[in-house]
Amino acid sequence: MAYDALVVRDLDAGYGAVRVLHGVSLRVPEGQIVALLGTNGNGKSTLMKAILGLVKPTRGTVRARLDGREVDLTGRATEEIVDLGVVLVPEGRRLFRDLTVEENLVLGAWRACARREISGNLRLCFETFPRLGERRRQRVGSMSGGEQQMVAIGRALMSMPRILLVDEPSVGLAPIMVKQTIETIGALKAKLGLTVLMAEQNFTQAIRIADRGSVLVHGSIAFEGETAESLGDNHLVRQFYLGT
Amino acid sequence: MLDPVLIVNAIVSGLLLGCLYAIASMGLAVSFGMLDVVNIAHPAMMVLASFVIAGLCSQSGLDPLLTALLVAPAFGFLGVGLYRVYHHFFEQSGDEAMQGLAFFFGLMILIEVSLVLIYGADQRWVETSYGGHTLSLGPVDLPLRMLLPAMMSLACIGALFVWLRRSFTGRAVAAVAQDRDALRFLAINPIRIKAVAFGISVALAAIAAGCLIVVQPVDAHSGHVFIGRILAIVILAGLGSLPGTLVAALLFGVIENLAATLWGPAWSPAVAFGLLLAVLTVRPQGIFGGAHT
Repeated sequence: MAYDALVVRDLDAGYGAVRVLHGVSLRVPEGQIVALLGTNGNGKSTLMKAILGLVKPTRGTVRARLDGREVDLTGRATEEIVDLGVVLVPEGRRLFRDLTVEENLVLGAWRACARREISGNLRLCFETFPRLGERRRQRVGSMSGGEQQMVAIGRALMSMPRILLVDEPSVGLAPIMVKQTIETIGALKAKLGLTVLMAEQNFTQAIRIADRGSVLVHGSIAFEGETAESLGDNHLVRQFYLGT
Repeated sequence: MLDPVLIVNAIVSGLLLGCLYAIASMGLAVSFGMLDVVNIAHPAMMVLASFVIAGLCSQSGLDPLLTALLVAPAFGFLGVGLYRVYHHFFEQSGDEAMQGLAFFFGLMILIEVSLVLIYGADQRWVETSYGGHTLSLGPVDLPLRMLLPAMMSLACIGALFVWLRRSFTGRAVAAVAQDRDALRFLAINPIRIKAVAFGISVALAAIAAGCLIVVQPVDAHSGHVFIGRILAIVILAGLGSLPGTLVAALLFGVIENLAATLWGPAWSPAVAFGLLLAVLTVRPQGIFGGAHT
């Protein structure tokens, strides 16, 4: 039976007196990729942060279904939410620059269940990103943006996510790397049965792997597409992205 | 003119002194360099631990270096508790810059005054069986009261380095120095990691205390001799670089001893701190510090 792995309901959130999100509702069905679309400054990252408890919502709920159990994530600490299996690949990657590739990856395996599977998951990372295997002893700070994005995704995989949140994976990457990164996320979802919520500005790349999509405009969901095609055909999307 | 034997001896005993500086600085390199907790009470804690170790040794007859290893865990737990207090009252509310500094300054005074009130102003020391012995390698003299603390210091620093690279918690400590909040994305509570790391820094003060009391007698204000030096070493190394701290401490010891041998002891701090200023002019980030952003 298909069910929703992540459900956001009527969420208001912001910073201090500034409200960024206005009654956002969103659902991510289990085993699917939902693209959270919208240009800069419309609240995509704030929504990601609110789901992960980094920004406290003033109204609304975030609920997840993990291993057949319904969990209310609202108001929990970030590390607790991650420990439940909701893992973020943060915007800007947030890697530990002075540590090696392997040290960064292994730090991802802090969760008790992930520690038992370290060697298997390291192998998975190096299969997915052979470049990381070649450079496992290299300092992360000395690597290219694309390679760092691989480490960031790999580190999240090491945490054995049930629900993977990916915030702007394409920012700062060369076009060829954008394409590769997005394709890898799609491949990982298929291989591991991941549920993915991906915030992305790059519409054309994002809908190539997305099963569904939501467009966030000024902190509200302006349009929800049930299929990738419906997103491409929508006039709002055209207006905001394609300029037609 | 210059006697080469004298110079070699000055360098060797400078290295031994540098090992004492290294273990004394290493705790501060962890707290100040990695955790951004400016614990200027660190030398005072070292002196406090020296008094505790001296007391335990005189009662039990145990070796002070061994006793230091035994009391270090207790000081570690004390450090964890202290960090919790500091975090709750200062760091959490963002008041750590000035008020946090005042907190540790107050703690330093509190420790010193308490030691004077309880033990008086007298020096404390521990008699060891090896205190008067000297190992001679050709013309080079290695007094055991310097050599054994130096070996203990290097062993503990080595253990710290291995722990930071090989253990889960150790790697998290290395990570907390670089991006504290990014640890939350990995289900790690950074405050807990900082508490553990601060506990380790205080435990290192206890280890340094054992080394110190073997090297020299200690009174309540002995920390004052160290505070400038260990701050200088940690900054010279580049904040947060532990291997750099080791090298800088050895360098500091050698330069102090050479200056004392060549021009007299009064010159040694002037030359050593002059070196600090010179290095910082050329490399503001320290010898081993990366360009911090």
